[in-house]
Amino acid sequence: MSAKNAVRRSILGVGLGLFAGALSGCTSTPPPQPEQMSRTTVETAPADLQLLCASAVAKASGIDSAKLLPVSSSKIDSKTYQVELDAGGKKTSCLVDTDGNVKSVEPT
Amino acid sequence: MTYSLANRSAAPKSNDRRAAGLVVGTVLVMTAIGATLAYAQTQVFDPQTHKWVDYDKKKARKYYAAHKEVPEAFRPQMVKFRTAEVPGTIIIDGNKHFLYLVQPGQQAMRYGIGVGREGFGWAGIVRVGRMAEWPTWTPPAEMVARDPNAAKYAAGMPGGPDNPLGARALYLYEGDQDTIYRIHGTPEPWTIGLDVSSGCFRMRNDDVTDLASRVSVGAKVIVLMQGAALYKGV
Repeated sequence: MSAKNAVRRSILGVGLGLFAGALSGCTSTPPPQPEQMSRTTVETAPADLQLLCASAVAKASGIDSAKLLPVSSSKIDSKTYQVELDAGGKKTSCLVDTDGNVKSVEPT
Repeated sequence: MTYSLANRSAAPKSNDRRAAGLVVGTVLVMTAIGATLAYAQTQVFDPQTHKWVDYDKKKARKYYAAHKEVPEAFRPQMVKFRTAEVPGTIIIDGNKHFLYLVQPGQQAMRYGIGVGREGFGWAGIVRVGRMAEWPTWTPPAEMVARDPNAAKYAAGMPGGPDNPLGARALYLYEGDQDTIYRIHGTPEPWTIGLDVSSGCFRMRNDDVTDLASRVSVGAKVIVLMQGAALYKGV
């Protein structure tokens, strides 16, 4: 009897799991916020994060920030961007997270 | 017909000639290396199909005809913007087709823009040298030579709703030198969000009027453009 109950419970559990799975399959991803309704196929770092890197490099290297320009950027993972900067031919690489924290600044 | 770069307005004649020379030089340099630029496709979110769709000239024109408006992302809006730049600074993200005007409190007013087509993008740090309302547009000599429509305005097209510079022009300077690039309005608002110009930044007339009312001559302008081959002011 207890074995039968165990089997019933297992079947019920699997059934509920499948039902929940089916329900979750019906839910669609919410649309992006109005300000995020455009994008490019190649994702660059947001402009503010690129400039936070420029500020950090200026501070770390003593280079005049008016001569420092972000020239390239890419997404490393879901929370991190890499930004390449140029200061009169001198290249620097910067890692910044989506919260605006500069993780590292290194000459390249 | 595409305008810009050369979409210069009532600059003094000597400036016009110097600018025309710069246009030729700049175009040659950029054309030579234009092929190496990596331009990414713009996409907009379609709220009806819940899908991201490529946004090109044809779709942009169709969207504008149907809605009498640009997609929501390219309309003015206040956004979070973490920066050490002072309020009043203009930051242009050419890749994403946005112009930010830094506001107090880590915020910025964001506008949609049209930017330089492939081979005509540039990056740098410049400033607003002067501004004009309903500026005159004077086509450069090479445009006059190849385009009969432009030839009609060789002596200058008066400001007005059909003028390619639109309602306002903010002339971008590198030091005291006119870069020949401008932030300006447009009679073709559907081109916002696209790579269409010869290096100028175009905005809807209402937006450029609003921007000009908030900006002072001398304001710093940072132009970010990944893949650009030409740098100004750095």
